[in-house]
Amino acid sequence: MPPRDRVMNRVALRYQSRIKRGAALANGKVVDAKDATALLEAVIEPGDRVCIEGNNQKHADFLSAALAAASPGKLNELHIVQSNIALPTHLDIFESGIARKLDFCYSGPQGLRLFNLIGEGKVEVGAIHTYLELYSRYFVDLSPHVSLIAAEMADREGNIYTGPNTEDTPAIAEATAFKSGVLIAQVNRVVDRLPRVDVPADWVSFVVPAPKPHYIEPIFTRDPAAITEVQILMAMMVIRGIYEKYSIATLNHGIGFDTAAIELILPTFAEELGLRGKICRYMSVNPCPTLIPAIESGFVEGIHCAGSELGMERYVAERSDVFFIGRDGSMRSNRVFCQLAGHYSDLFIGSTLQIDLEGNSSTATLDRITGFGGAPNFGSDSRGRRHNSKGWLMAGEEGRRDERAIPRGRKLVVQMVETFREGLTPTFVERLDAWSLMSTFKSPIPPVMIYGDDVTHIVTEEGIANLLLCRTLEEREQAIRSVAGYTAVGLGRDRRLVEQFRRRGVLVYPEDLGIDKRMATRDLLAARSIKDLVRWSGGLYDPPARFRNW
Amino acid sequence: MPVAFDDGVVTGEGLIAGHRVLIAAQEGGFMGGAIGEVHGAKITGLIERAIETRPAAVILLLDSGGVRLQEANAGLLAMGEIHRVLLDARSTGLPILGAIGGRNGCYGGTSIIARCCDCLIASEEGRLSISGPEVIETVEGIEEFDAQDRALVWRTMGAKHRRLIDEIDVIVPDDMSAFRNAIIAQLNVSRPLSLETLEAEQSALRRRVERFRDAADARDIWRALGVDSPECVSEMEADDFNRLVEGLEGSGS
Repeated sequence: MPPRDRVMNRVALRYQSRIKRGAALANGKVVDAKDATALLEAVIEPGDRVCIEGNNQKHADFLSAALAAASPGKLNELHIVQSNIALPTHLDIFESGIARKLDFCYSGPQGLRLFNLIGEGKVEVGAIHTYLELYSRYFVDLSPHVSLIAAEMADREGNIYTGPNTEDTPAIAEATAFKSGVLIAQVNRVVDRLPRVDVPADWVSFVVPAPKPHYIEPIFTRDPAAITEVQILMAMMVIRGIYEKYSIATLNHGIGFDTAAIELILPTFAEELGLRGKICRYMSVNPCPTLIPAIESGFVEGIHCAGSELGMERYVAERSDVFFIGRDGSMRSNRVFCQLAGHYSDLFIGSTLQIDLEGNSSTATLDRITGFGGAPNFGSDSRGRRHNSKGWLMAGEEGRRDERAIPRGRKLVVQMVETFREGLTPTFVERLDAWSLMSTFKSPIPPVMIYGDDVTHIVTEEGIANLLLCRTLEEREQAIRSVAGYTAVGLGRDRRLVEQFRRRGVLVYPEDLGIDKRMATRDLLAARSIKDLVRWSGGLYDPPARFRNW
Repeated sequence: MPVAFDDGVVTGEGLIAGHRVLIAAQEGGFMGGAIGEVHGAKITGLIERAIETRPAAVILLLDSGGVRLQEANAGLLAMGEIHRVLLDARSTGLPILGAIGGRNGCYGGTSIIARCCDCLIASEEGRLSISGPEVIETVEGIEEFDAQDRALVWRTMGAKHRRLIDEIDVIVPDDMSAFRNAIIAQLNVSRPLSLETLEAEQSALRRRVERFRDAADARDIWRALGVDSPECVSEMEADDFNRLVEGLEGSGS
């Protein structure tokens, strides 16, 4: 029997004293922007786990800067637990010693600096996570003591309205508020009445009206004018050779130009094939503007979004049959649910920077640590799935090696890449850069984005390699070589096997699908410019200035 | 350094609506359509041939950031040779038509080529300017010109603005057949190149500088030209825009 006087609510007691210290600076829950640093110094304690909301798009940039301005004498040894390291201030706190340990998912533009700070011993990385993995750990061993979130508006009680970019906020808010953590929201405005409540006031500890609206980045807008004919050819192959073959109704698209090309030939190429109502009906993806023609022409019937996209607000709001819309009329996004929805769909398709001979892929290259983002969860077989669909069953059957093995379905995971990347760097390599990163990084395993045994198809401008039909690892290697074109990996292919692979359907060339390569021109795109997208949207899409060419 | 067999420009001869023409098409995907020694020589040769063989027009499909700086003087000389032969051709009454509809726009020395043509046709995606947005930002600072603000870039250098201030002659929708029809309408049409036309152009430029000296933004110029709602111009489709321009020209402003 443990002693009866053992205290089991230390965190809650600490919460009370944190709030008391913070309340001295607040008017109700509202704290002036000029007192933001003082507030953080008052409520955060050395060694705390802190989450600075940083998503793909939305960032608590003001609070991040306020934390960076704190005194390292008062705040130090913090353990930062957040999905994205995107702003300079996210790393400034490591440079100054305010923070030491880091658990994160993705570092995009800060990848190079992060790499250097790790080298200097200023950042001690716990792990690079996938999104769902980190959010899950918020509810296991990484619950934040203090979270700094970003929202559109708050009312005076502290209710929060996130607007369409809800993104990671619900996961952070829940993990913080229900584990006696302090939840501080930076808001663009304090109003009397909110359009809707995304986070209820009693979860929220403090509200800070920021002097400038929070940073938000349109990262899912792809200009159709930049789509190449090679990408269009690959898109035609994907539609015929994969979407049509497996009747892919539910799926997740990556965010590159390759998948934008697929979206833009649905209303033309796929329509002519009579595939409307049969493929691409439900998607888990951000509201990418290149989806507009496919939505308008009746291909895509439902979309759940991880976040929003600048300029798409009005269009999305007017398409409540397709998107998830709040009673206020604006979209509600949620990265956790979107990741889950995509995980249990029939197919994931995306691009990568490197693929090795087993089909392992990685976006980690030698001099930067970018992390993974959403691809690993979308792009892995959903082994907890039990409901069936035609494509899921077909893929399971194709991958079944042994008559006696119990029948099961499997998710299609497609990597769509050109054989050479920018600057004539080969996409196919004998050995991933991830191996060298492993040692610089002192990690026990190389940072792989999608594991080869989850990948079912690799599509290049040469053709489609169906890895499900490969019987051995040697066959898998040869199948990958046979779509790797003129890279060193591709030149190592065995000609005799190529012929055998074509007979067995392991290797599919465009002509095997009845695709005339000469048809792969930009004329096939339903929209050839951003302005065409505006036209398709009936003027509802309002592209940010940086994407306009008129 | 990338190389290409055609050095980024395709030249040839063919028929358009039954009329014989010589044509050059720049490949904007190759070094931004920049003009180097070989690229330039091909265009110069094409126009020299036209002076001898008298087609209905020489058509230049322009998509270029200007001279290929890494070729140094060879590139600049090539540019100068094109300018010279173009004016030679025009002085014999041979029409030279320029068309701008690519992603690179038409900048630097290529913009001078464009402005030496008899007639310039562009889609609203087209841009025409000596210095590019990044160059201006680098030299004058981001407060003066933010190259990332594409709406600003297009209303300063875009085809609609150039049409409104008379530097481009025809605006068409972003469509192959629209360009083709506009070109057909200009075959065998040449503008005189004489001392009087040059002097008239010079004084028009002088008047323009005086008139718009204080305009801080293209929209101020459009308003001064008599456009009622300058903020709507960028959103207009080509047909509506052309009606607007006709109305302004009809009213003589």
